Amino acid sequence: MTIPHFVGRRTLAAFLICLLAGITIWGIRAYRHSSGQHLPYHDSFAKGKADEWKALGGTWEISNGVMRNDSDELGAKLLTGSPYWHNYLIEADVSLLGVDGDAGLVIRSSHEEEGVDSYNGYYAGIRTKDNSLVLGRAEGAQQGWVRNGWLEATKQSLMLSKIRPLEWFHLKLLAYGCQIAASVTTASQPTPTVLTIKDANCLLSGRFGLRSYSSGGAWRNVVVRAATREDLTEMLQNSGTEEKQSLQNAPIEDPAFTVPSPRLEQQRTSTNVQSVGSLRLASFAHPVRATIRGVVILTSPLLFVQDSTGGAYVPWPKAPPLKVGDEVEVTGNVSPGDFSSTIEQATVHVLWQRTPMPPISVTASQASTGKFDATFIEVRGRLAAKERDPGDALTLDLDEGPQSFRAILSSTRGDQLFEGLRLGSILQLRGICVVDPKFTQNHTPFVLLLRSNEDLQILAGPPWWNTGHIVLLVVLTLLLGLLVNLVYQRIEHWRFNAVLQERERLAQEMHDTLAQSFAGVGFQLQAIRSGMPAAMTDLHRQLDLANTLVRRSHEEARRSITTLRPEWLKSEDVLCALETSARHMVAGGVVQVVTEREGDQRTIPLRIADALFRIGQEAVANAVRHSSPNVLKLRIQYEKNLASLEIQDNGSGFIPGQNVAGFGIRGMRKRAQDISAKLTIESQPGKGTRVVVAAPLPPRITFTSWPRLWWTFIVEHGINARFSKRTNSYSYRG
Amino acid sequence: MVPQTESVMPWELAHAGVEAAAASTGVSVYWSAPSREDDVEAQVALVDRIIESRHYQSLVLAPDQALALISPVRRALDHGIATVVIGSPLPLPACNRLSYIVNDDDEGGRLAAERVARILHGHGTVAVLGINPDITGIMMRARSFERVLSQIAPDIHIVEKRMGSFNVSHEQQVAEEVLRANPSLDAIVALMWTTIDGSLSALDNTRPKRLVHVIGFDIAELPPFSEQQSLDSIVQADTRSMGYDAVELLHARTLGKPVPAMVRIRPTLITRENVDTSEVHQMLSQDWKSRSREWTLEP
Repeated sequence: MTIPHFVGRRTLAAFLICLLAGITIWGIRAYRHSSGQHLPYHDSFAKGKADEWKALGGTWEISNGVMRNDSDELGAKLLTGSPYWHNYLIEADVSLLGVDGDAGLVIRSSHEEEGVDSYNGYYAGIRTKDNSLVLGRAEGAQQGWVRNGWLEATKQSLMLSKIRPLEWFHLKLLAYGCQIAASVTTASQPTPTVLTIKDANCLLSGRFGLRSYSSGGAWRNVVVRAATREDLTEMLQNSGTEEKQSLQNAPIEDPAFTVPSPRLEQQRTSTNVQSVGSLRLASFAHPVRATIRGVVILTSPLLFVQDSTGGAYVPWPKAPPLKVGDEVEVTGNVSPGDFSSTIEQATVHVLWQRTPMPPISVTASQASTGKFDATFIEVRGRLAAKERDPGDALTLDLDEGPQSFRAILSSTRGDQLFEGLRLGSILQLRGICVVDPKFTQNHTPFVLLLRSNEDLQILAGPPWWNTGHIVLLVVLTLLLGLLVNLVYQRIEHWRFNAVLQERERLAQEMHDTLAQSFAGVGFQLQAIRSGMPAAMTDLHRQLDLANTLVRRSHEEARRSITTLRPEWLKSEDVLCALETSARHMVAGGVVQVVTEREGDQRTIPLRIADALFRIGQEAVANAVRHSSPNVLKLRIQYEKNLASLEIQDNGSGFIPGQNVAGFGIRGMRKRAQDISAKLTIESQPGKGTRVVVAAPLPPRITFTSWPRLWWTFIVEHGINARFSKRTNSYSYRG
Repeated sequence: MVPQTESVMPWELAHAGVEAAAASTGVSVYWSAPSREDDVEAQVALVDRIIESRHYQSLVLAPDQALALISPVRRALDHGIATVVIGSPLPLPACNRLSYIVNDDDEGGRLAAERVARILHGHGTVAVLGINPDITGIMMRARSFERVLSQIAPDIHIVEKRMGSFNVSHEQQVAEEVLRANPSLDAIVALMWTTIDGSLSALDNTRPKRLVHVIGFDIAELPPFSEQQSLDSIVQADTRSMGYDAVELLHARTLGKPVPAMVRIRPTLITRENVDTSEVHQMLSQDWKSRSREWTLEP
């Protein structure tokens, strides 16, 4: 294949890279959106793991391989899966924990929020109120101005089974195209009860979840797999009874507007009902039997009941299955404590459901007084430490003001939570405040027993300015500065090499053109003079003058070429190079060149060495041209951070301040300024001239010295940046 | 030294004990307290200020609240400040740098129960007022009183138990309610000084037809037996000894001597009969302030 001449190789490479990147992105997107990604899914409840689930309301915990929501919150949801799942089937064992409500499965869910029907998706569940399997669609998420809530499509009574709490039902929910099917079986009714709907304007994809309404619920053996038409057909064929409806024609019934009226499960007629707070005044000497009424605020690991006067701890009660939010009557022996009471050997009866107690918002200082012992509170704190014990419980140590406290979460969904909690974060926690030393172990005034992951909310992450980050920032800044400095030095080196190359080129050009031309002109003038009669003295004299001028110009050109050529760079020592140059300049004369070196010789950076050499060369040239010396002394002195070059002659000298134009002093000053060097010129008529240039040298960098050097660099550059327009400590002060 | 509060007799006596011990051991004492016993946050802030100042080697604390002082005391111990808790204990166990010199509230409850049994001759009704769970010692004395009373005088019945506060008006109101609800009440056991004052004021106001005996704990001023016929007796903690012993203990610890982890000091039952004895006079003496200054009286 030939590449058109107007398409460069680089353009082609860029095109191919873009194409490859596009294909990769498209592939990743297609993979993520694929309906079957991560399917099939099996829950890990048996292993006590459920980090992939997200709760919206409720108190979701795993107990004995079963996911439980002990809360009677309306519409509590636990969701997972991919929002791109399209045709799939969920099945799970489902059990209700209360007598009034429903529990089931959600499919193709999206836009979920906390709330009764705050999601878009399909739900199938078993309901106690009418002993039926229900199927419908929730349009709870805000879509413009439309919010339809729950649209119940159909329901089917379970003929042979009575839906009772704590009995397991096997529920299946399938979505294929716009057909949604649900079925339920029990041990006593193996023939499934099936419901099917066809939704003309169906939701096409979404996640799946568990949901309960009022009754709480338990789920196990949750399995999700991709569904086919055969699966749908099989579900319909296996049904003993079948109900098919179109959602568009289904009667709309919204339980949110027909809330089942709370009812007393068992009428209690206790007349001696006491407030929970009054139990603390019960006899310390004699056992007292008492009855209280309150709302369940925690069921696991311990039962706590609270009323408006306080909370009480009820250990190992004789009780039906209880959920958070149940209003109960507790009768037992009172053991009054300092801050709350314990009701031992208690019998618990459920009076009402769905009366959840809101938390009391307090500060840690208030909770530390014990006044909120055994009470559901909400408190803020800064996370100081976190720990996970072998029993999977999370222990968080928190501070707020002068008080410290601890929060314990017997969570089985805590892996993600634990990893996501960063020390120093501000947390808001809801839980049962307990001051019993069994929990506090006298380390903190109180402990907060959290009910689920959702009782913990991260309000703000840790402040950025911690010690570790500051140290990191300083180190990075230093490294960055060092890098910038290295790059700058490297660029300067490149630039200087380019200058040298240009000088070499100029020298070569001058040699090949100007010098050769002068030589040619001189030769021609010599030839003309030889060919002219001796009588033409005037012309001879003019030709001699012209010849002299040409010779001088030729010498100047050769000197310039010598000056421009960087051969001296091959020598590592400025003094040697300068001596060579000086001897070349005075060759054939009587001038004696003397050199002297003091201090430890060290390598001088190329830029500084070149400047020193040029200044020295100019000084030598000035001495030779204008001062007529006998002795020319070249001296270099190395100090710790300084190199001083001195050129001294014993020639005629000059008066400082008089017109010295043509001595190249301006150029010398400029070169000295460029390397921040100090240039000193001393001269007196008849006593020669002394030129000294003192150039600062960069310090020697070692492993231990570089931070100090870097700090000096920053300080000096900072000062120079501020005062650059006012002074230069190394500028020419001649 | 951070007591529960200032300007009430028990803590003035503790101050006297601390100053006396400081004078004998050469210790310098910083003394500060909240203005009220229920100003827990002020006491927590005081302890934190002492910790942060880094000027103090030791701390003597009479806690206003059993739980809220756990964290500050832990911080003090973590900063190497040896601490002695006096008066009422904290839930923290004694350790290398933490000791307790507390009132023996079990004994106090027993003294009160025996006194009630004696003055009521084994029959009658009692109200227990001023129960305050913030102070562990008060709960201990309430439990001890009830337990001992039920053992030695089963025919004396506790007809009322009320929570208490460090607010005299509130305590007076509670006492008046109790007196109105129980016209045949024989005795009031007042577990706090505010309850003593409130109960005596309530008795002045309601003027019951029969004598109601008041047995109190830790009165704030010298017992007004002559003015108050109802005031039978006071179970008074020896806070002076607590303050003195606390400084001695800390000094001994500084010298590397072994010190006890827990010391319980018996309270004294002060009645009309023994109020003028030298023992009680010495316990309640507040003359340390006048002796600690050399006053110059100008003509």
